[in-house]
Amino acid sequence: MTTAYTFDILVLGAGLAGMRAALAAHEGGAKVAILTKVHPVRSHSNAAQGGINAALTDRGDTWEDHAFDTVKGSDFLGDQDAIEILAEEAGQDILALEHMGVIFNRNDEGRLGTRRFGGQKRARTFFVSDFTGQAILHVLYEQILKANLPVFEEWFATSVVRDDDGRCAGVVAFEIRSGQFAFVKAKVVIIAAGGLGRVFEPSTNAMICTGDGMAIAYRAGTPLMDMEMVQYHPTTLKGKGLLITEAARGEGAYLINKDGERFMEQYAPNMMELASRDVISRAEQIEINEGRGINGCVLLDCRHLGKRVIHERLGQIFEEAKTFANIDLTEEPIPIRPGMHYSMGGIKTDVDGRCWDPQGGWKGVPGLFAAGETACLSLHGGNRLGANSLLDTVVFGRRTGSCAAAYAQSVEEPRVNNSVSDKDHNMVQEFLKRKAHADTVAAIRLDLGVTMNKHLGVFRDEEGMEEAQGLLPVFRDRWNRVAIQDKGRVFNTSLVQALELGMMLDCAQTIVRGAMIRTESRGAHFRTDCIQRDDENWLKHILMYHNPKGLPRMDYLPVRITQWKPQVRVY
Amino acid sequence: MKYAFFPGCVSKGGCPELYQSVMQVYPQLGIELEEMTTASCTGAGVLQEKDLRLGDILNAHTLALAEQQGLPIMTICSTCQGVMSQANHRLKSNPEYLAEINRVLAEEGLTYRGTTRVKHFIWILLEDIGEETILQHVKHPLTGLRAAPFYGCYLQRPREALGFDETPSRAKSLETVIDLLGAEVVDFPGKTRCCGLPLLTINQPNSLKMVAHHTSDAKEYGADLMVTPCPLCHLNLDGLQSKAAKQNGMEIDLPILHLPQLLGLAMGLEPKGLGLSRNLVATESVLEKIGISV
Amino acid sequence: MPTTFRIKRFNPESESPQPYFQEYELETEQSDTVLDALIKIRESVDESLALRCSCRGAICGSCGMRINGHATLACKTKVVSLESPDGTVQVEPMNNMPVIKDLVTDMGGFWDKIRQVQPWLQPAGPKPDAEYIASPESMKHLTGVMGCIMCGACVSDCAALEVDHQFIGPAALAKAYRFVADPRDGASDSRLLALNTPGGMWDCTRCMECIEVCPKEVGAMDRIMDLRAKGIDQGMPSTCGSRHAEVFADLIEHKGRLDEPLLAMRTFGLKNIGQMLSFLPMTLRALVRGKLPRSGPLHRAIPGIDRIRRLFRHTRNLP
Repeated sequence: MTTAYTFDILVLGAGLAGMRAALAAHEGGAKVAILTKVHPVRSHSNAAQGGINAALTDRGDTWEDHAFDTVKGSDFLGDQDAIEILAEEAGQDILALEHMGVIFNRNDEGRLGTRRFGGQKRARTFFVSDFTGQAILHVLYEQILKANLPVFEEWFATSVVRDDDGRCAGVVAFEIRSGQFAFVKAKVVIIAAGGLGRVFEPSTNAMICTGDGMAIAYRAGTPLMDMEMVQYHPTTLKGKGLLITEAARGEGAYLINKDGERFMEQYAPNMMELASRDVISRAEQIEINEGRGINGCVLLDCRHLGKRVIHERLGQIFEEAKTFANIDLTEEPIPIRPGMHYSMGGIKTDVDGRCWDPQGGWKGVPGLFAAGETACLSLHGGNRLGANSLLDTVVFGRRTGSCAAAYAQSVEEPRVNNSVSDKDHNMVQEFLKRKAHADTVAAIRLDLGVTMNKHLGVFRDEEGMEEAQGLLPVFRDRWNRVAIQDKGRVFNTSLVQALELGMMLDCAQTIVRGAMIRTESRGAHFRTDCIQRDDENWLKHILMYHNPKGLPRMDYLPVRITQWKPQVRVY
Repeated sequence: MKYAFFPGCVSKGGCPELYQSVMQVYPQLGIELEEMTTASCTGAGVLQEKDLRLGDILNAHTLALAEQQGLPIMTICSTCQGVMSQANHRLKSNPEYLAEINRVLAEEGLTYRGTTRVKHFIWILLEDIGEETILQHVKHPLTGLRAAPFYGCYLQRPREALGFDETPSRAKSLETVIDLLGAEVVDFPGKTRCCGLPLLTINQPNSLKMVAHHTSDAKEYGADLMVTPCPLCHLNLDGLQSKAAKQNGMEIDLPILHLPQLLGLAMGLEPKGLGLSRNLVATESVLEKIGISV
Repeated sequence: MPTTFRIKRFNPESESPQPYFQEYELETEQSDTVLDALIKIRESVDESLALRCSCRGAICGSCGMRINGHATLACKTKVVSLESPDGTVQVEPMNNMPVIKDLVTDMGGFWDKIRQVQPWLQPAGPKPDAEYIASPESMKHLTGVMGCIMCGACVSDCAALEVDHQFIGPAALAKAYRFVADPRDGASDSRLLALNTPGGMWDCTRCMECIEVCPKEVGAMDRIMDLRAKGIDQGMPSTCGSRHAEVFADLIEHKGRLDEPLLAMRTFGLKNIGQMLSFLPMTLRALVRGKLPRSGPLHRAIPGIDRIRRLFRHTRNLP
């Protein structure tokens, strides 16, 4: 017997994008609920450290400048109409956050202060010490408490439901605490379930970043876009792959090789350590591959910044370096290396978060929306600038929520049988019945992650990608047969991890496929067998549709250009 | 070894038996004490609630007086130790703040340069007097006696101000001393927890619940007595024990001894001289257990 | 090196659910945290061990648990840093919360208390067109308390909560301070008033456990002291708690040393004569046993009291 709930709008995911969308939708008069697999403040948004970009015109900055930096940063794969909106509306959204209570850093005049960040010539990154993501996340949660919005806390969504007309009708999910399934009916579902970092091992991402939102949207029939665009962050710790914020370089830290040279001089003589992330990651990898690294890493040197700057503006990473690497940043440089960090690709949306084209230009799921890292407008194209992701979540979280509220008012309640949750319920029962054998979910997950990091990392080639592609069906087959030891209903984290692995496999397939199809190098996608950017053939996005019987079905969308024709990209 | 002796308020007020027993034991241990008669109360954390800076000024005054004499300070109370250590730590780690406080002291012709060390008697026992000397003075080993240690919050937290990183043995000081005196340490859950005294006049039921829990737990784990280096804890654990027992529907009757009282017994000193008759929970059972005629 | 983990288990679905300890032997590396070890146990020995974890980097607050008796984040605790006489590492769920399963606790009560302090900015007056103007000095100190990741460690080890679940607790109080101290918030009076009640800011027993166990150095108890000082400063209605602090300071100013009977009497005041009288039996017994000072029931001031009084005066003249 499953319970059913009804809302106008259900938001999946309670990170920055999800909560921002929920608030906007609520303000737009919709009956909103949030469903999240962890408590909102545990969302991975809290790991974003450095800051959030905005061009404030009263500081002599222009949104066009910010937009161009973003377009160039994306290696011209970003859709410029979406980027223009991001840059133009950024200012208003930063101020809205400050009014809500975010404790942004202040300059001497008592106004919001800025720091420099990668890929941008001006300092337009607003920040809270070096835990900006956490600071904003907690304030948005305060606003959710203030608005008293219902939150399905620690619920795991297994499917997006569509009615007979193909319209989005809600989600099927189970409460992790009790194992109880439910159908949450909604006119609109906004997916804001974050990224897919755990598909790679190691990754800066939290263990919950398993691409759930992307996978269930994909399975419901809406396309994923630009999945091959996976960002490797230049400064991650060896071992667990924890993030060291770009803000360190924003404050002036150097990258040096084993000979003590600031090697970025060779790769990006103008912007040096503040070039775009893909350029820096490749530079570091080359230094390491050519023997100028130390134990597979290069060094980030913060010493010359002085104790005061480090403790006041980089306090969190100071603690992190001490705890996880045994290093005092004021005394020694810290070994770092490129690590998987962000997915530029995701669920295709338009500039209002719709996962379908009202004009009919591409096929999706009417009534389904997406925002945040889960989505791909595309804002970030082939490479995301630092501090643009936090901005993405609040600007497009808001827009998506508002648009979704208006849309919800214009449609009828979907008509779906409550037994729609039976399928997933039975699937889980089948899983739990499997007999144990030697293989485990953890083993498959590790093999998948290591394979993806090896062949779909900073440098890719045909041979490596083919090997990865060859292994994916093997992993899938293992997953189809793997059993879990814990057969309980209450807080069965083994079951959750098993289902997450299924989501990760779907995402991995789209990443490998996209990378193999795109025969050029652009942004973070660098192939040693096609090192040139090919605007003639590849100034377009790759859409991928779920095909349960084989490889994803593909389609293309041209990149939308407004002001900036593609040019040579040097830093 | 000479120390500026800071007796604190309670050893001269509600727990005179503490002062009494310290006076009995110290001469034999080869240390000299010069009592700080003009030093004020540390504030006990309570005055600091109203005005932290005022508390730091009063403690800086005490620290400056000892610095003038060139002596380290000895305390006999966990609270005095903790509050003064925290003040000292704040002053020593922030030169600007120290200068600000010194501007006030200057009006009294004093300066604090940040060199005074503050040590609780129990640390002096283990670190300055030394285990060997203590053992030499244990004339009446407390064999068969089972003692539960109760430190008092201020002698356990915060670690940094109390110098635990430089001297990790301080975390287990009370257990080490109990062991040296020949008694058995009773390890029970509440040994580093709160006695509840700060809440006594504010939320009496909660305060007494803490007393009841910790004393009854110690008893359940087999303790014959509880020993504490803090007279404030003693006031609650001993003085309020029968009230706590009644309020929580229990029978407890666990003798609570001050550290110097236990030390004195092991040194073979007379119970009367150690003020044992002043403890509100009768201590006769302890004496019987170690074969001292009452 | 081989390490034994002694983990408190609880399965609500078992026939007669009772908590019990289960031991696991594991080979651990120098760099392993307790979380690494727990994950190793899950992945290679016992998949049924339930725990919450996510970021592995001490920022999400999921993995709060008691390790060797003290609450902390498992992802931040290195196995080698733990000392125990027999080399065993004991892992239990956080205290002061119901246990759902194994190391997973029900934090519903924790969040109820956070909600109680109305944890959202309540600015006074109309919104400015741009940002609220606030000097860096007036905002800098908020970074400490904003660093709270709501992990629950302070609540787990709070001595006051252990005896009284009505106490609002260190996390909620630290959160309340975050708003009282924010120059943009216009509700600090009503916030302090709400905390000036039973179960509020005066019920903290000042044991410093919350300061000690906090993985982010929020210093909850120090924030509670700040709230108390602000409450006294802003003339909140006096309670036993605020009177206690005021009387204490007054007595030190006039006598230099604590006068316990007078402190108690003046803290209680006439409204609490009942409570005061309830101490009579104990006081009489103390008198009989000679536990009151030799100088008589009302202490004399310490020698050199004039200087102490002057120090008080000097402090009052400070900005």
